[in-house]
Amino acid sequence: MSSPPAAVADSLAEQRSRRDARDDRLFGWLLKGCALLVLAALLGAAGATLWGGRHAFGTFGWHFLTSSAWDPGNDVYGALVPVYGTVVTSVIALLIAVPVSFGIALYLSEVAPAWLRTPVASAIELLAGIPSIIYGMWGLFIFAPFFAEHIKPFFTSYLGDKPDDGKLSWVAAHVPFVGKLFGTDYPFGAGVLTAGIVLAVMVIPFISSVMREVFQTVPTRLKESAYALGSSTWEVAWDIVLPYTRSAVIGGIFLGLGRALGETMAVTFVLGNALELSPSLLDPGASIASTIANQFSEAAGLQKSSLMALAFLLFVVTFIVLLVARLMLRRLAHKEGR
Amino acid sequence: MTESAPAVAAPVPQAVAAPKLKVRDLHFYYHGFHALKGIAMDIPEKQVTAIIGPSGCGKSTLLRVFNRIYAIYPKLEAKGSIELDGENILDPHYSLNRLRSKVGMVFQKPVPFPMTIFENVAYGIRHHERLSRADMEIRVEQALRSAALWDEVKDKLKQSALGLSGGQQQRLCIARGIALKPEVLLLDEPTSALDPIATGRIEQLVEELKSEYTIVIVTHNMQQAARVSDQTAFMYMGELIEFDSTEKIFTKPSRKQTEDYITGRFG
Repeated sequence: MSSPPAAVADSLAEQRSRRDARDDRLFGWLLKGCALLVLAALLGAAGATLWGGRHAFGTFGWHFLTSSAWDPGNDVYGALVPVYGTVVTSVIALLIAVPVSFGIALYLSEVAPAWLRTPVASAIELLAGIPSIIYGMWGLFIFAPFFAEHIKPFFTSYLGDKPDDGKLSWVAAHVPFVGKLFGTDYPFGAGVLTAGIVLAVMVIPFISSVMREVFQTVPTRLKESAYALGSSTWEVAWDIVLPYTRSAVIGGIFLGLGRALGETMAVTFVLGNALELSPSLLDPGASIASTIANQFSEAAGLQKSSLMALAFLLFVVTFIVLLVARLMLRRLAHKEGR
Repeated sequence: MTESAPAVAAPVPQAVAAPKLKVRDLHFYYHGFHALKGIAMDIPEKQVTAIIGPSGCGKSTLLRVFNRIYAIYPKLEAKGSIELDGENILDPHYSLNRLRSKVGMVFQKPVPFPMTIFENVAYGIRHHERLSRADMEIRVEQALRSAALWDEVKDKLKQSALGLSGGQQQRLCIARGIALKPEVLLLDEPTSALDPIATGRIEQLVEELKSEYTIVIVTHNMQQAARVSDQTAFMYMGELIEFDSTEKIFTKPSRKQTEDYITGRFG
């Protein structure tokens, strides 16, 4: 076959390159549209909740943030209890989940024999897929009674300031705050600490699978170099693996935190839903999500607006958390000389 | 020293130098694969011993037995004995900490830790010794000077080691190794990832370091072996084919396989 004359080939090539350029432009717009959609959804949700909550914000002003009253009878609402409950349960969840996840991930990536790694990793992924309502049921029917029966008495009598037998323990008497944190008259298992523990169980799969994945990206030769200097497995994990994967690990932790902050069903089941401010971790409380879930169906007027305002505050809390994560990363990087 | 000092200059033939490492009947198995077959050699003190051979001949494996780094993986097994100053390091009772403070290792690719330059060197020392801040600074400086890196990094010790060039990173890894004041330094193809200029600096450094350390270097680069080593071991298919002074290996090897390899007929 003979090739077409040069002039024809040139014009064909030009046509094609023009078409390619146009297609690329279209493709670029399409991608930009997808990305903007996310931004639009975020802004839309934040804006809608802010708009919906304008009545509450307008009526109570800054008091909405600082007031612990939530009284539909008198139509007075304050966000302090739910915000406090949300933050505290999530912090408890992370305090438990982060070390445990670190252990799981480290075991799976560094220590476990090869035949055990895949089954345990799949089990973790399955755990991550369990719907939260099931965790909630487990928490309410199985864990909370167990907690009330076997774990809570230990806290109240050895750490709390309201022990059943009336004898104050040394810790409660001498260490500030501890007595208040663990003192309660509330007899049931559902409460802030219970919710924190259930949340921890729920976020462990997320955090540990992220950690495991990034731990596996650490170059073998980096670990070997540390071993060659005499480091133990623990030292390699703490000094080499963790710093190397730090930003991804913090990302994983905040993914878990994000889930803990917004978790609704499970927390609604095990938090006790008491809109009263109590310093005790063993007392029932309320979170933003649980308050909304409990009240939205019969709310109207100012109450509904207050729920909307609560939803907006959840955005704000999450945003602050992400901001803190960013700042932490930057400070760590700075400390490391980068 | 009370006895008459030995001649300082000119490396003596290896027959005279005392063996630092005595390898006897060493076998190594990777998941059942027989990777080293009855290696026996004496590695003399304060000299450079090169191990050459085609890919897969077991030269890196042999090096990795000298500090038992293989032990971090399951199902790898070494049999036989390697005596370091008369003690068998393959004996499970020989502490890994002690072994790794005596036998340092530098790997193929430069692997600085994700820390500052100072911390990279201080890290290993800290594992073995407790030093005051001032003493630590002295030790780190000494190590960096010995690795011919001090002048290039002294103003940026607090910066990340990841910002150094490849050659600098590799010298940092050498500094990290010698900071522990080891007796033996294992170099596993230390220049394979470096450009010719950086390679030259490392080779020069090896030359300088041998007055203090027993150096074993694995290399796929025969010219490098000829340039830096006092004796050379040629390995093939897990066996030690020939081990002699570098001059002899490269001028009149006694085995046919060695000659074929160094003249480039295979490998």
